[in-house]
Amino acid sequence: MIQLMHVTKQYNRRPALSDVTLDIQKGEFVLLMGPSGAGKSTLLRLLIGAERPDDGQVFVNGRNVTTLKASEIPFLRRKVGTVFQDFRLLPKKSVFENVALPLLVQGVSSSDIKRKVTEALRAVGVEHKRDQLPVSLSTGEQQRVCIARAIVNGPVVLLADEPTGNLDPVLTGEIIELFKLINARGTTVVVATHDPSVMAQVNRRVVTLVRGTLMPEQRVVV
Amino acid sequence: MRTLFYLLREAWANIWTNRTTTVVAILTTAFTLACVGIFLLLYVNLRAAAGWLQEDIKIMVYLDDRVAAATVNEVEQQLRNDRAVAALHFISKEQALGEFKAQFPSESHLLEGLGQNPLPASFVVTLSPPFRSPDAVQRWAERTGRLAGVAKVDYNQDWIDALSTVIRSIELVAIGIGLVLSAAAVTIIANTIRLTLFARRDEIAILRLIGATKTFIRIPYLLEGAVLGGLGSAMSLFMLKVLYELFRQEMRTTGRFSGLEHLIMFFPLSICLVLVAVGVGLGCAGSFVSLRRFDEAKV
Repeated sequence: MIQLMHVTKQYNRRPALSDVTLDIQKGEFVLLMGPSGAGKSTLLRLLIGAERPDDGQVFVNGRNVTTLKASEIPFLRRKVGTVFQDFRLLPKKSVFENVALPLLVQGVSSSDIKRKVTEALRAVGVEHKRDQLPVSLSTGEQQRVCIARAIVNGPVVLLADEPTGNLDPVLTGEIIELFKLINARGTTVVVATHDPSVMAQVNRRVVTLVRGTLMPEQRVVV
Repeated sequence: MRTLFYLLREAWANIWTNRTTTVVAILTTAFTLACVGIFLLLYVNLRAAAGWLQEDIKIMVYLDDRVAAATVNEVEQQLRNDRAVAALHFISKEQALGEFKAQFPSESHLLEGLGQNPLPASFVVTLSPPFRSPDAVQRWAERTGRLAGVAKVDYNQDWIDALSTVIRSIELVAIGIGLVLSAAAVTIIANTIRLTLFARRDEIAILRLIGATKTFIRIPYLLEGAVLGGLGSAMSLFMLKVLYELFRQEMRTTGRFSGLEHLIMFFPLSICLVLVAVGVGLGCAGSFVSLRRFDEAKV
């Protein structure tokens, strides 16, 4: 599903990723661990075509992201859901409107939007908040809405960049459980985090980056 | 349909959120386009005036005194068949003499002393509009001068040249000023859209991440530019119309240029619609300029 082959990326001649080779199979749940500045976000940005590698190849869902034209990137992103630490919800739009946005940009019909958004909100447990503005939600609820927006169009891959960074341990546990549920439905999930407590809760494949270099893999069993 | 509704709503939200900037942009665009409009109006009126003056340009085709009546008929037939000729009027030798005497009664004794009528018969020709340019008139005169029985073709070359030069100069000035001020209008609208883009940069970043195409992101801003340009242009026409009516009123009350107020004209409706469409186009161009810069900067 995701393949990085000898990928190198530099910013102002400082390496963010050095010769990274990684293979993630369809349906896997992978934790991307590493301290701040290790290159986790850079790796995720490469997967959605927000950055181009200086060297190497990146494949997502069978497509070579490295050679995609700018006009093809939006279509790749429709297959890849993204979740962020800061949620990135539109403050002046309701929960429903925020979650409907990925469907709207694809020209999905009104009835389908209503059905799919309702399903996504139900899946993350905030269906009752559909008409509220994000500012009136708790941080945990905002992150759930962000996840609902990421899964509403049935992506093949879900990428999450520090999704629990703003959450307390209880909410972190709830969000991780949500990711596990989404993964159980067949979606490949990659969660980037620097929080070791997440690793203990996930019990899946762990990939560690340190200063842009991939460390030998480990599997955590609780 | 929902997508279209969303895009329209976003465009309206952009306008409403930055309403002060929008109003200022529309007014500035209106004043800028009104300046272009003044020159355009001047050009249209002078062009019309030139058209009327050109209609007054008569070409005299003098006939040889010795030609037979059959040849005169032949010349007349050839002129009537000429598609450059719009109107034709024959003046016989006797009519020419009568007109001379009527116009210059004090000098009529000069001709009487000659014993015979020295004035030739002639055709007074008015050319069709496409053949009224200096070059066309000259070519036509040369061609007609070679007809059998024609002694001379006469017209006021200097007057035609001067009129043509004036029209061309005004045309060039109108085009020059139009281009410069249109560029100014594009810049004003581009800056307004840039403010909107900057205010909504986070939203645009989110739209990019969830797979919105460039076109989807751009449409609300292009619509906003179109509205700014269209309203600016419509307002400039309104301002011009008010100025035009005030000018006519002034002419009527002061009695200066009496009769001229019936000759000057405002843009016909079709031209007004074209000018609003041009405003819409300039607005879209302004938006496009900002969107391109925004894309390049990846703010």
